[in-house]
Amino acid sequence: MNTGLVDLIVALALGVVVVRRRSVAICLLAAQSLALGIGALSIADGRSGSELVAAIVLLSKAAVLPVLLYSLMRRTRETRPVVAANGPLIRLAAAGAITLSAGWLTPRLGLGDVHTERAAVALVLVGIAIVVARRPILFQLLGLIVAENGVSLLAVSVHGGMSYVVELGALFDLAVVVAVAAAFATRIHEELGTGDTELLRGLRD
Amino acid sequence: MTDTVPILVAVVPTVPLLGAVLTLLARSARQADRLAVVMALPTAAVALLLAGISFARGGRPALHGHWYLVDGASGLLLAVIAVIGLCSTLVSPAYLRTSGRSLTTATRSHNLYYGALFVFWAALLAVPICGNLAVTWLLVEATTAASALLVAFTGRRDALEAGWKYLVLTTLGLSVALLGIVVLAIGQTAHGHHGLGALDWHALRLAAHTLPKGTTLLAFVLLLAGLATKIGWAPVHNWLPDAHSEAPPPISALLSAALLPTVLLVAWRVKQILAPSVGAGTTRALFLAFGLTSLLVAVPFLWRSMPWKRLLAYSSLEHMGVIALGIGFGTPLAIAGVVLHVAGHALAKALGFYAAQPLLRVDPGAAKRAPSGVAAASPSTAAAMGVSLAALAGMPPSPLFLSELLIVLGGVAAGQLVVSAIAVIALALGFLGILHALVEGVIGDRSDRARVRAERGQRTTVALTAVLGTGLLALLATGPLLVGSSFIATLARGAL
Repeated sequence: MNTGLVDLIVALALGVVVVRRRSVAICLLAAQSLALGIGALSIADGRSGSELVAAIVLLSKAAVLPVLLYSLMRRTRETRPVVAANGPLIRLAAAGAITLSAGWLTPRLGLGDVHTERAAVALVLVGIAIVVARRPILFQLLGLIVAENGVSLLAVSVHGGMSYVVELGALFDLAVVVAVAAAFATRIHEELGTGDTELLRGLRD
Repeated sequence: MTDTVPILVAVVPTVPLLGAVLTLLARSARQADRLAVVMALPTAAVALLLAGISFARGGRPALHGHWYLVDGASGLLLAVIAVIGLCSTLVSPAYLRTSGRSLTTATRSHNLYYGALFVFWAALLAVPICGNLAVTWLLVEATTAASALLVAFTGRRDALEAGWKYLVLTTLGLSVALLGIVVLAIGQTAHGHHGLGALDWHALRLAAHTLPKGTTLLAFVLLLAGLATKIGWAPVHNWLPDAHSEAPPPISALLSAALLPTVLLVAWRVKQILAPSVGAGTTRALFLAFGLTSLLVAVPFLWRSMPWKRLLAYSSLEHMGVIALGIGFGTPLAIAGVVLHVAGHALAKALGFYAAQPLLRVDPGAAKRAPSGVAAASPSTAAAMGVSLAALAGMPPSPLFLSELLIVLGGVAAGQLVVSAIAVIALALGFLGILHALVEGVIGDRSDRARVRAERGQRTTVALTAVLGTGLLALLATGPLLVGSSFIATLARGAL
């Protein structure tokens, strides 16, 4: 995949770490998924039909998931912003460190494109970091999707491709998980009056 | 008989999916209850038929087709999932009658509950017979959404927290496992194997010795770490006590007795196919590390005074650790122990969770604190709890006593003396902890908070105790037959 496009996909994930507004984060995720789909389409050109289907599946992901997330955002309006534990610069520094560490620590995976390998692992780690570091429920959901996008980046870059059955199945599973998570988020918002997961700490031993 | 296997493989997940559609379309709660019971019977019957065929093949190699794989381990898990799924469906109407509030409107709550339960059951049944690693991953991921809805079914704040934690942590874990699958696919591509077929269990098995060691090791670590989140192995078990304690009791039984060992089977298969490339010592070490950590993390909690279902959840952590140790040792003795342990744990744990329903009727406060003196308030509930706890503790004549003995002896046979010794000490401490809970909670003096109620509607509890208790004794009788059998020898060789 084009190096600039891969860098853009990673940069958009870092953007999700930094931004405060949920609508902006959803737009960044949509742009990331779109870039991933375009990248997959460019690889699929001249290869098997299976890779073309996988690319189309990824492009549809860029449409389906942001719509679900936007609908969730509309249903769960925050009366006041959820205060972040750390400022945007600290979050960016931490996410940047994770990305660079991924570059240093990721062994060769055998893809023949080290840049994409490192970017894919970095995306999975940044996705996990978003889930851990961001308190708003919608951001945790975005973290899950960023991590899945990292796996998709690697999957579409495999020569001969992962089967479109896997891409299609993974998209379906992810869409169902996001739909269930959206139902939870709505109910949690009704229960707590906010989507701040910091308040979900009642169960401890 | 084997000619019918491809048909049965297709029918096994289709029947519960049909059950999901029918119960979702039911016009009333009463109709949904009836349809659920009606559809549960054929679901369990076809799964048990396929399990029976796989057992009847004894030590012969696995049957595999384009999409499926049926071996002895498939048979074991199919039987466990069928029995626990059937029991959970049969006790669900009683739960729903008294459950109160739910995640959805009262009029649709039965439809949602049974729809999600049957989808969860279908995905669970499909995992052990799926012939492809990537499709197996999709099925495991499919269990997450359906079971998360069920975990948070009551819609209470704690249930929502447990459901959210379960959904997010297991989805993240499975993303890591998928990364491992893609890394494995890259290794396969380098050897000219492309597409979905390259990730067939059988194809992976044939290609394993040609895969590059470094890449395959990374894939194995990622797969195991990701699956560990779903199995609930320590240290990535945080969702387990919360989800098991907040889910409706029939769902807790399915989660603990069926879901955890089913995902563990996937980890076991990954170990079997990748050991020739990664090295048997490395795969063994990782399983033993997860097993011992889970055992050692669980034991202190078994000594603490805690609500009944939370105690059972920590017991699940302990038992998944024991099974991991058995798979890690890998000797025929240990594998015989694993087979017996998976089945015995399922029956004992399910009975424990089913006993939570009458327990919470007798003593509603037991949802938030340890039960006390249940025998005085409700002898039949106490009997169910007592049989469950005694079996889980490994008190003779529990089959878990025999299975743990076989696993430890298998460890000694594998030359893992230190690990076996630590496991024996941890199991002894766990035994004493559960015995303490048994004496205090079931037999001990009744707390003033516990309310005495008449023994009404306890026939189900008595029947379940009798059936599952008899099942446990039957397993004990089967145990010695497993040792030295060709069935176990094939499983230990990992002949997929």
